[in-house]
Order: sequence, then C-alpha cells, then structure tokens
Amino acid sequence: MKRIYVIESLCNGCRLCETFCSSLASGVFGAADSRIRVIKLPGEEQDIPLIDCDGRCVRPIDDSGGPTCVSLCPTGALIYEGQEGAAAKRLELAAARQAHSLFKVVAPWKWPLPWRLT
Amino acid sequence: MAAATTVRDNRTQTILWVDLSEGSTRLETLPEAWTAKYLGSRGVNARLLFDHVPAGTDPLGPDNVLFFGTGPLDGLPVGMGRISIACKSPRGTVAEGSCGGFFGPEMRRAGVDYIAIRGQADHPVYLYIQDSASGEVAELRDARHLWGLKTDETDAALRRELADPDVQFRYIGPAAENLVHASPIFGNLHNSGGRAGCGQVMGSKGLKAIAVRGTQGIRVADYDAFVDAYKVLRQRLDLATSRDMWTPVWSTYGAPVLARLFPDLGNLMTRNAQQMTWDYDKAMRISSEPYLDSYVTKAKACYCCPWPACQKLHKIDSGKYGGFKGGNYWAAQPVVFGSLIDNDDLELLLVLSGLCNQYGLDVFHVGYTLAWAMECFEHGLLTTTDADGLELRFGCTDKDGLVDLIPKIARREGFGGLLALGCAEAAKVVGQGSERFCLAVKGQELEGIPQRNLYMVALGIAVSEVGPDHTRWYPPYPCNPSLISPEELAELGIDLDLRLAFQGRNPEQKGKLLRWFTISRAIVESLPSCVFLVRDTLGLDLRPWWKLFRAATGFDLDYREFVAAGERLMNLDRAFNVREGYRRADDRPPVRMATEDVPGFGYPRLAPERFEPMLDEYYEANGWSVTTSIPTRRKLAELGLDDVAAEFAALGIEAEP
Repeated sequence: MKRIYVIESLCNGCRLCETFCSSLASGVFGAADSRIRVIKLPGEEQDIPLIDCDGRCVRPIDDSGGPTCVSLCPTGALIYEGQEGAAAKRLELAAARQAHSLFKVVAPWKWPLPWRLT
Repeated sequence: MAAATTVRDNRTQTILWVDLSEGSTRLETLPEAWTAKYLGSRGVNARLLFDHVPAGTDPLGPDNVLFFGTGPLDGLPVGMGRISIACKSPRGTVAEGSCGGFFGPEMRRAGVDYIAIRGQADHPVYLYIQDSASGEVAELRDARHLWGLKTDETDAALRRELADPDVQFRYIGPAAENLVHASPIFGNLHNSGGRAGCGQVMGSKGLKAIAVRGTQGIRVADYDAFVDAYKVLRQRLDLATSRDMWTPVWSTYGAPVLARLFPDLGNLMTRNAQQMTWDYDKAMRISSEPYLDSYVTKAKACYCCPWPACQKLHKIDSGKYGGFKGGNYWAAQPVVFGSLIDNDDLELLLVLSGLCNQYGLDVFHVGYTLAWAMECFEHGLLTTTDADGLELRFGCTDKDGLVDLIPKIARREGFGGLLALGCAEAAKVVGQGSERFCLAVKGQELEGIPQRNLYMVALGIAVSEVGPDHTRWYPPYPCNPSLISPEELAELGIDLDLRLAFQGRNPEQKGKLLRWFTISRAIVESLPSCVFLVRDTLGLDLRPWWKLFRAATGFDLDYREFVAAGERLMNLDRAFNVREGYRRADDRPPVRMATEDVPGFGYPRLAPERFEPMLDEYYEANGWSVTTSIPTRRKLAELGLDDVAAEFAALGIEAEP
C-alpha cells in the first residue's frame, strides 16, 4: 500500500507541507492540526519532517494521485510510494548523487534538465 | 488531540509600538484602508517612515524609528517569510531592506504585523513577543549578557534561554553595536536585511535582538480562489514548468555561477572594477560547481519557498579552515571577496564572508571598502604602516591578515577603524584623490551587477532612494519578450518597447523600464514576496500576485489600483529623500563608471550624453520634475498623497504643479 515516505537528507526546512496541510481540511494555514510537522534542530543543521497521515489526502491539489504535500514539496523530500517503490527511489537518489553533486540538494525526479551517470 | 488554533484574517494589520526610553509597549490596529492603499510590508513601512521620522531627525538618536513589517501574504505560502526593515539611514536617506527566513510568519502568528521601535534603552535589551491570544504581548528583557556576542553565538544563547525550538529571532552582531557603517540585521544565522544601516540604528537603540513566538493560524478570504492563484504562481516558478531559463539554475546552483558567466561579457567587476573581466580558471574556482561539489552539506529555504535550494549550508572539512561552517553563498560573495579583490581561493572567500555574517557586517561594505583600500595601496596612498602591517594587494597574498581584519572592522580596532567608516567616509580621511576609487552612490557601496554594459542598472543604482540596491528592480532584464505580446503589454498598462528595453547599452527606454520594474518590485515586496521569484512573466504580468492578494485579503481592488500601490510607495520613498534635501544632482553613478571606459570591451563610460537622457526619461515617466526630481503636485494628487504635497509646501519645498 502506498504511503508518504520522507527522504530526510533532501528536506530544506521550508515548512510548505506543514503550512498547507492544515488548510486542506479547515482553510486555515499553519494551524496546529497539520498532519505533518517539520522539526528543526538548533543551528539550522537538520530539518526533519514528521508525518502522522495515511496519505489519503482530504484535498489533493492536482490529479497526480498523490497527496498535496508530496505534490508541493520543492526538493522531492516527500514521496508517495509503496515499500518497494520507496526503496527504488532511495537507490535512484543514491546513484544520482554518485554522478552529480546537484542531487545533494534536489531529487533527480524533480530535476527537469538532462544529466547522465558518468 | 491537537490544540485549537486561534485564527486571524488578512484585512487589518496591527503594529506594536515599543519605546525603549520609557520601556513601554503598545499594540495598535492600523486603518483597514491602508491594506488596500499601501498593501503591507515595504509599502506600509514607507508610509510609517514618512509620517513618524520627520526631516532632520538624528538617525542614531532616540527619535529615529526602526520598523519591522510583515504583510497580508506573510505566513501564507506566498510571503516566503520576507519582512521589510526600514528606518532613516545614518547616511540620511531612506534605509529599507527585505530579509528572508522564518521571522515574518512567526510575527503574524503572534498577531503582530509591524514592530516600531523608538527611543534608546539605558542598557542593552531584547524584545520578546509572545502570542497576543495568550494575553501577554511583549516585554523588554535584559540583554547585557548578549551584548558583544557574534550573531551565531546570540542565536545559540537565546535559543538556550527561551528553550523553545520554534521561537524566531532577529539580532545584530558586534559591528552594529559599534555603529559600523551599513551594518544589517541578521536572523536564521545566514539571512540578513537592511544593509543601509538598519543594524547600526538598532545598535544605537541598545536593542540586541527581537524574539517572537506565535501560534495563530491564518485564514484567507476566498480559499478556492487562493489555491487557484497559487497553482498559477507555482506553474511559473516550478523547475519543470517555468518558462524562464534561469529558474533551475538559480534555484539549485544559485547566483555564484555568474562569476564564470560574467567575465566573457565584460560584466565582472575585477580589481575594484579597474577591469571587467577575469581569468576563466580563477572564476571557475569560486563558481557554484566547486562549491556544490566540495562544501555544500544541505539545501535550505526561506518559509514556503517553491525553489529547492536557493540557499545552502556549507562546511569546510579539512585544512587551515577545517570545521568552518556557514550558509547562503550567493551573488554578493564571489564578487566582493572574489574578483573584486582578485581572490580565487574559495575557502578564504567562504571564511571572509562567513566572518562578516558572524560579526554582523555587510559584505558589500567590507568588500568594496577593502578593494578601495587595495587600490589606494597600489597608488601609495596607504602603506603597510597605515594597514597595521598588512600587505593590501589585489591577489590577496596575506590571507591570514585579511581573516584577522574582519573582526577588527567590527570592533573598529586599528586599521579596521578606517574601513569601518565605509569607502565614502574613509576616502574623505585619506583624501589625495582616493574618492575616485570608491565605488559608492549616496555613501553606500555598490553590489554585484555591472553598469556600463547594462544601462538600466546604472540608472537604477543612481536613482535608488536607499543607495545601490538591486532588489529594487531585480532582475536587470525583462522576461523573454516572446512570452508577452505588445498588445498584452498595453492591456497591462505598461508603456514600454520591450525590444529596445532589452538592448543593454542603448539608453532608450531604460527610464521607462526602470520605472515599471521599480513599481512592480515595490508591489511584490509589499505583499510581501521575494523579488528573486520574479521569474517567467511574473515581473511584467502582475495578475497572479493581484489574484493572490484579493483572495487572501478579500479586498475587491481592481488591477490598476493594485499597481498604483507600487507607484505610491515609490513616491513616498522619493518624498522622504526630497524632504532630507536630496535632488537630481545626487542621482549619479560612481565616478569610475562615469569617467572610465571598460578596458578591452569598448563599452564607453557613462558620460552625461548617455546618462542624462535616461534620467530625464525616468523622471518624466514618473511625473517628477526633470530639474529637481521632486514629485509634481499633480502626480501626488493622482496617487492620493496630497498630505505629502502639503508637507512640501509647509517646509518650503517647491513642487511643480
């Protein structure tokens, strides 16, 4: 079954998921009932999204089939996959990082321009 | 179960008045009509500044007021966490700057949209603002234990003290405490704003920091319309769908790639802009690629930004500077600590700019003043004796000396005391013609974008009410002209020939182009949002921003009225400077750009025959006097600023009809 997985090393801490989530049910941005929270460690050195949601989004923002937070995530740190799909995405990221340092900061599935494994 | 959230709307905005002399605070509501007339953030700050800081106010005295402003879209996924910081600059002009991060949304969540700080504390204090829904609004707390701490130390100390991971801060470093020229205000460790001396003013007030914590949620007036408008904004800005070639580049590599794209175009200021090109291998060493390869540890973003990695954190792993951490390597640093002083050591560059952040210095001030000193040294106007033993040569052979110099500037020690003045004031001390090596306008140092190949930039830095500031009109070119037809332009009320506007070294249309850019960016910064996100057609077609504003606030403003708010802000800024005595003669490029051709490229100097017609076109298009640059009475009346005209009359300032 698909659910929302987090790739923590890609999270840039923008809090878009957290801010938008609560609005989907109540229309209120940044309310306390968001199903996702980004924990920021002091020194800004780590951003950790914590999810309490089964991924069945009350109001998907597009027709991608995934929840709104996954659609909106700028870096690709949130993915909506089954267990095997999630493992495959992690492998894809690791391989891309071997090939290009760009993928320290953005997921290959979010990067629109050509690149190749060397 | 989650706690119930107090909810606020975006129609009315509140202001917290803080008097540091009295030790008092007072929360007020601003007139609702202001949200339609001035939007918010930079627009409301311009109004407040004009109203509360009269002509002749001592910038470093108790009567100057320091404003922090959010806006109706802050705290929503559009505001990008921007705040406007404004006061009267210690140089006499408007001082205003935008700062990103997470502070603005936290202010809105605390129910405080603006903070106005006047007076002077008798000992260092910090302001702690808590959610207005919980009763206690704000208190001033002792900050004697924080005074003298660097920005990163202040952040850590306050975090320990308040023991709340979500509290947000803005603070100053030792440079601002010591009233060093151009010191900005910092936050989230690597974000800063208000480089025209807002930090200096905060230091003069004895205010070390502001801490804010809020819990309120924000409701928009029309949720469906807001989400629809947001989708359009995302389409213009997402990597895969933006029709702007720079979107993927800026949002991942960041602007340091300009270091290697600029030299071939004659655009990279090298050795204090004596040259406008640089050795390609040197440029490549400080560009984004080696930075990303060897130093970046993770992506960072401001609040809700749709771009993945405009900011990044970095760490130097080993070697002489092993363990040095920092963030936000952007367009400024490769110029001011790279080509400008002819340094191709990326680690030295990261350390110099990181130390500026830690000590609370403005990198443009330090870089341009250092480059000025190096050119003085080359001409024998400064010696190693003057420079406390430092060999001040371009090429930066004495790296340790430069690293030691940064704290000395912040503390005004020895030779650092001269550089702490900024190049315009330091040149007055050194004299002997050293003024022509100072690349500054209205006493404030330049930034990274060249003038003699991009005339709109030359005009923009000359007329800017805050001194050189590219965020007033960024980016320095219109969008791809094929994305918008002349008919659509006319429909949007933009009087511009895009074909001519695009020609960098053609003076024609530059006044009109700058006028439109200044108005449109004023609007974006008043919502607020980030001017770096003026991508695709978002800088010409403001309808996506307009729809977001309407949906968020519920104000049924028509498009022309919305655009007029930007022009109103531009006129308030100009009026503030007019009241302080600034006129057309003050709107000038730096001496070097006006008197020297670009070597090797054939780009001529900005001689009067090229520069003056652009000024004429700009003033005329604005409805300002071509002889004095004072807004005409007709223009002020058209914008509903009759009170400004009345004040001019009362002060004996002659505005044309």
